[in-house]
Parts: sequence; structure tokens; C-alpha cells
Amino acid sequence: MKKISKRLSLLLAGIFAVGSFVPCMSDPRATDAEGQDRTGTGFFAQPAYAAEKKKDEIVLRVCNWEEYIDLGDWSEEEAIELDNGKTILGENAMINDFEQWYEETYGKKVRVEYSCFGTNEDLYNQLTLGDVYDLVCPSDYMIMKLMQEGELVAFSKDFFNEEDENNFYTRGVSPYIKNVFETNEIGGEPWSKYAAGYMWGVTGMLYNPEYVTDEEAASISMLTNEKFKRRLTLKDNVRDSYFAILSMIKGDKLLSESFVNDKDYGKKLAEVMNDTSKKTIDEVQESLQDLMDNLYSFETDSGKADMVSGKIVANYQWSGDAVYAMDQADELGVELRFQVPAECTNLWFDGWCMLKKGIDGDKDKQHAAESFVNFISRSDNAVRNMYYIGYTSVIAGEEGDDTMIDYARYNYEAEEDEEETAEYPLGYFFSGDADDEDYIIEYPASEQYRQLYSQYPPMEVIGRSAIMEYFDEEATRNINQMWINVRCFNIKDIPAYAYAVGGVMGLVVILILAERKKNKL
Amino acid sequence: MKAFHLNRKQLGIPYAVFLICFVLAPLIVIIHYAFTDASGAVSLANLKAFFTSPNTIGTLVYSISIAVVTTLVCLLIGYPLAYILARSKMKKKYTIVLMFVMPMWINFTLRITALKEILTVIEGNLAFHPFLNTIIGMTYDFLPFMILPMYTTLINLDRSLEEASRDLGAGEFQTFLKVTLPLSFPGIVSGVMMVFLPSMTNYVVLDMLYNSTYIMGSLIGSYFSAYDWHGGSMIALVLLVIILAFTLISGRFEEDEKDRKGGALL
Repeated sequence: MKKISKRLSLLLAGIFAVGSFVPCMSDPRATDAEGQDRTGTGFFAQPAYAAEKKKDEIVLRVCNWEEYIDLGDWSEEEAIELDNGKTILGENAMINDFEQWYEETYGKKVRVEYSCFGTNEDLYNQLTLGDVYDLVCPSDYMIMKLMQEGELVAFSKDFFNEEDENNFYTRGVSPYIKNVFETNEIGGEPWSKYAAGYMWGVTGMLYNPEYVTDEEAASISMLTNEKFKRRLTLKDNVRDSYFAILSMIKGDKLLSESFVNDKDYGKKLAEVMNDTSKKTIDEVQESLQDLMDNLYSFETDSGKADMVSGKIVANYQWSGDAVYAMDQADELGVELRFQVPAECTNLWFDGWCMLKKGIDGDKDKQHAAESFVNFISRSDNAVRNMYYIGYTSVIAGEEGDDTMIDYARYNYEAEEDEEETAEYPLGYFFSGDADDEDYIIEYPASEQYRQLYSQYPPMEVIGRSAIMEYFDEEATRNINQMWINVRCFNIKDIPAYAYAVGGVMGLVVILILAERKKNKL
Repeated sequence: MKAFHLNRKQLGIPYAVFLICFVLAPLIVIIHYAFTDASGAVSLANLKAFFTSPNTIGTLVYSISIAVVTTLVCLLIGYPLAYILARSKMKKKYTIVLMFVMPMWINFTLRITALKEILTVIEGNLAFHPFLNTIIGMTYDFLPFMILPMYTTLINLDRSLEEASRDLGAGEFQTFLKVTLPLSFPGIVSGVMMVFLPSMTNYVVLDMLYNSTYIMGSLIGSYFSAYDWHGGSMIALVLLVIILAFTLISGRFEEDEKDRKGGALL
């Protein structure tokens, strides 16, 4: 009996040890994950479902990126005083403000159950496991994937009614973003039908001008520059790294005159950057494996801090994080810059979409979800979120409301005594007319590749952007395999001396054991 | 009226519930996923993939190498220290033991972050020595786990056995080799287990010290982000079996040791 209990305790110890490195599996929700539970009535999802039926309260389950909405609690000094007379200050959390606003506006109580996810893949896994949300905020490709799988609820007709004063999204979204959402289609339907934009940006190189010249940073090929050996990072994320390397190996083609001047340039660029054939994936793998010797590491979040501390001189970064890193570095007296490679950049969005399993035909709930999107799209709230997150809102502000452009001016416009200034036209984003003189910011010429450039990339940068679509099943498999191949230790890399040392060690262990056995007898 | 009285069985209920929810159920889920394919059919393909893919084998080799080297380094640093401390007549030796244990009171990510900065000052650029840095990080992290059990064993050793050995003509070194070392074996075994098993899977240290090579923990994570629950679960399961094997072997050692000790005392 004693022996059995000892064995059992050993077994349990082993299980605990394994549990500690299976992050997803240690989640208690995994217990109801037998097969693909997609009915939304999983064991653990049930209680929340039952609770919401009580009272007249609408429960809205929102799942967003971590730290991706204003949590309020600003100090008085943080108040943003804009030229148009508005003062913006985040006193309470955005979510509480919404609950209050909804009750005041529509006379109904709504309670937001707010939760967060870490990556698009995590969110997708959670949904697969049976977690139920009404409103989620994944990135472009995940929206496409969910659309393709028929998981999303279309926004109602009322949501697009420009007459309704509370439709802040439809009335205020940037014409540029609106156009992107309307012209990109999945299964013959435009994104705009199922998704409302939230934040957007591009990818590029964040660099320290002390070590890297503007010319060097202008091309993605700087990743192979031996001058920066082991002082560059890429994202620890297969999609971003794939995109960066693909634009590097296709660089000659992407930069060639005939390609750039092609009348279908945009379409062809998207084709090249969404090439997931086996041959291309193999090329990327080879190139990435060669590149590893020149890289510092793949980073998830440490890149920004490492730029500031000088461990690395450049990293491939999202524009929003670049703004944040530059702000941080400025405080420490380090200047960082951001440039979008001449080859190509990945235009990305995060957008709100409603899930069928959550909304479940409940019109009240859908109204609350749409109102949530509208509320956070109100220009003052968009500014609050931009201030808090550092990313760029898709909102340009409705007709006659200058809040958004004034916020850009508040941040980036040159002081009156600035000697050398340059013009930064933002008409393409704010009014849909690239030459619109109302949307030109006079900024210090020395700030060319700085926060303004990252926050609102210039028109010509947008011109060389491509949206990266979701990969189909086969491409997903191949690309993930490629990534694992790159990241795993290759047995062929074991040096000869390691075999020798290992052999000697094994021999010693065997000798000791033999000796002990002999002694025992 | 019979007084309300909990018997032993009832007291065990919370533990049973805990074990079922957080140990048994996840294990069943892991096994279920490991032996099915994407369509839900029972399949051994994942098992086959584990042993035929150069990636999983390479990662296994890499993980075990890290664990073996870390354990050896901890042992080489830890044993002499434990020995000196246990034998010294210093009044302040508990303070010294405390100093080695104290880092454990601080959150380990903080410690590794500090270590990262120190190593950067020393090496200039961490990226040139990823394996070395990992070993240093792991050693820093797990050294107390190695010292403590060995120190406890050594301090509780029956000193008269050593005296007897000397009386019978053995020199200092011979006494150590033939008496002290064998008697402290249980401490060494538990120290080795406490260091070897976690250092095989603690990928946070690698992440934080910029070693981009996957070890078993991160490899499983990458399978999950690729929605491949089945492959990932199989790796977890195989690891579990490996760890179980190590634990059982070390258990055998300790049992052996007890027999020997009993024999010696009789």
C-alpha cells in the first residue's frame, strides 16, 4: 500500500511538472474542450449565460487586447487642451463611462463584462474552447478568418445611418479607412459589413540614428547588414517575420521601375506579399535561417526597452509601438526614429466584430454592442484611447469636428519660433482629399521620421502598403512548420566535442552505477 | 444527537476534488488530444511525428543538454559549499545559508531581469552566447534548490561514522570518498531532481535572456498558437513520461540508500 501511494505521489509530482509548461492546458476551461465544442454552451460558459437573463440589465461580454482601452484615472496635468476649445481628460474607465452614457441615452441598463486576450491565436483558441463573447477586437486576418467561417453578425442597417447623431463610427470614420473596409472582401462581402475599425498602423524599422543612418534604415535589407551584427530584432511572431523576410527576398522585384509603375501596382503588391506557395515559404525559411546569425533575438515586447537601453540599434516594429518607444526614449534623452522600408509595409487593423454565438439573435444586445463601438468612436473618446494606448485611431471625426486633427496638431505641430518647418499633408486620412489644405500640419523639419510619421504614415508610405490576408489551412501548416524549423535546435549543429563530453559523462555514470551494484552485492 | 464530526474520508473530499479538477481532468484531456487527429479519430500519427521529426528530437536534445549542464554546474558549486557550511564551526553559518536562500524570496522574473543587465555589462552583447547565458540564468535560479537538500543531509550526518573511519586509518580524502559522499547521496539525488526537472522546461529564462531557440515548453506553445492541439498534447505527454521515468529512477536511488543506511547501522 505504501509503495503504491509513493508511486502515486511521484506520478502526481510529474503531472504538476508538466502542467507548468502547458500554459493553455492549465486553464480550467480546457476540461470542457472535448473535441470542438462550438455550441457555446460549454460547462463553464453556462453560469454567465444564465445570470444575464435576470432583470432588465443587458450584459455585454467584450473581449479586447490587453491594455487596449482607456482605463481613466488621469491626473489633472494630463488634461489635453485642444485648439478647438475642448479639454479631454480621462477621469473614469471608458467602460464605466459607456455604461453610464448608454443608460442616459437609451434608458436601459447595460453591464459590460470585460476580458482580455494576448494574441489573435489565443482568442481563436478561446472561442474554439467554448468561451462566449458578444464583441471582440481581433486583427485584420483574424476578422477575415472569422468572417470566412461564418462566425460574425453583420452590423445592422441602423448602425450605418448617418442621420443618427449617436452613430459616431459611421459619421466619424476616416474616409481612407472606410474605403479600405469597403473595398476588401471576403466571400464576396466587404469587411465593413461585419467589422468596424478601431486602431490601425503599419510596420517598419525603429532605429537609433546614432548608429543607423536614415539611408540604411530605408530598406528592409538592413537586416542583413553585417555592420549591425547581433543588434537587430524581429518580432517573435510568424506572420510579421514572414512578411518582413518576404519583402526582403522579393526586394529587387518590389523596387524595380516596371513593378512600381505598373498600373495594377497595389494589386500586384498584395499578390506578392500574400504568396504562400511552398516554394516561397522554403525561400523564406532559408533566408531566415541565414539571418539568425545577424539577429539579436526574436522579441515579443522587450524590443522597445532594449532600443532605449542601447542593447539593440534597430527593430522591426509596429508603428504604434514605435510612437510609444520614441516617447519613452525622449524622456531619457535618447532619440529614436521610425521608417517604413522602401520595399513594402504591412498595413494592419484591429476591428470590432460581433459574434453569432454571443449575440444569438438578441436585438437589445446587438444594439448595446453597436453602441459600444459608437461610443468609443466619439472623437473625444478616440483621443482618450489614442493617448492611453499610443496607437492611431481609425476615427477622423465627423463633419465640423476638429478634435482628431487638433489632437495631432497638439502633439506634433511646430512651435511658432521653430526655425525650419515642413508641411505634412494628412488630407488623405481626414477628408479623403490628399491635397486638402485644412489638414496640413506644420511640423519641425528635424522631426521627419518621428512620432508624426509613425502615428499617421504619409501618403506615399500608404501607397506601398499591403494587407496580409489570413492563410488557408495548408499555408498555415506550412508557415508554422517553417517557423518551428527555424526556431528549433538542429541536431546537426552539435559540435563534435559535445558528443565526446556526453560520451565520457555517460561512461562515468555507468561506471559509478556498476561500482555501486558491486558494493551492494 | 450525534455530534457533527468529520471523519477522515470527508476531510479528504476537497483534495479529491482538487486532484480531479486540476490534475486528472487536464491529464485526460491531454491524452485525448494526443491520441486523436484533427478530425477526432483515434490516431498514432502524433506519436510517430514526435519521434520522426528532427525538430522535436533536436529540441529534446537541447532541453536535456541545458538541464544536464545546469545540474552539473549547480552540483559543482553547491556540494562544496554545502559541505563547507555543514562542517564549519562558524557562528554565522546560518546567515550564510540564508544569503543563498534569500534570492528565492524575490520574484524570479525580477532576478533574471537584473541578471540580464549585469550580463550585458560583462559581455557587451548577450546574443553571442545564448547557451552560456541560459546556463548562468538557470544556475542562478536553481542553485538554492541544490544547496538546501545537500546541506540538510550533510548536517544531519552521523559524525561518529567519519570518526570511526579515521580511527581505522583512513585519510581525510578517503573518509570523504568512502563515507561522507556515499552517505550524502540522498541529498544529492533530491537536489539533482529539484534542479534537473524544472531546468528542462523553464523557457521563461531563455526568453528573457534572448535565447531564441525553442526548448520543450516553448515548442508546445508554438503548436498551440498554430491551432495544432494534438501535436502539442503529444509532446506534453511524452515529456510527462520522460519526467516520470526520471522521478522513478531517482526514487529507486533513495530507496536503495535507505536500505544501505539501515544495513550500515545494524
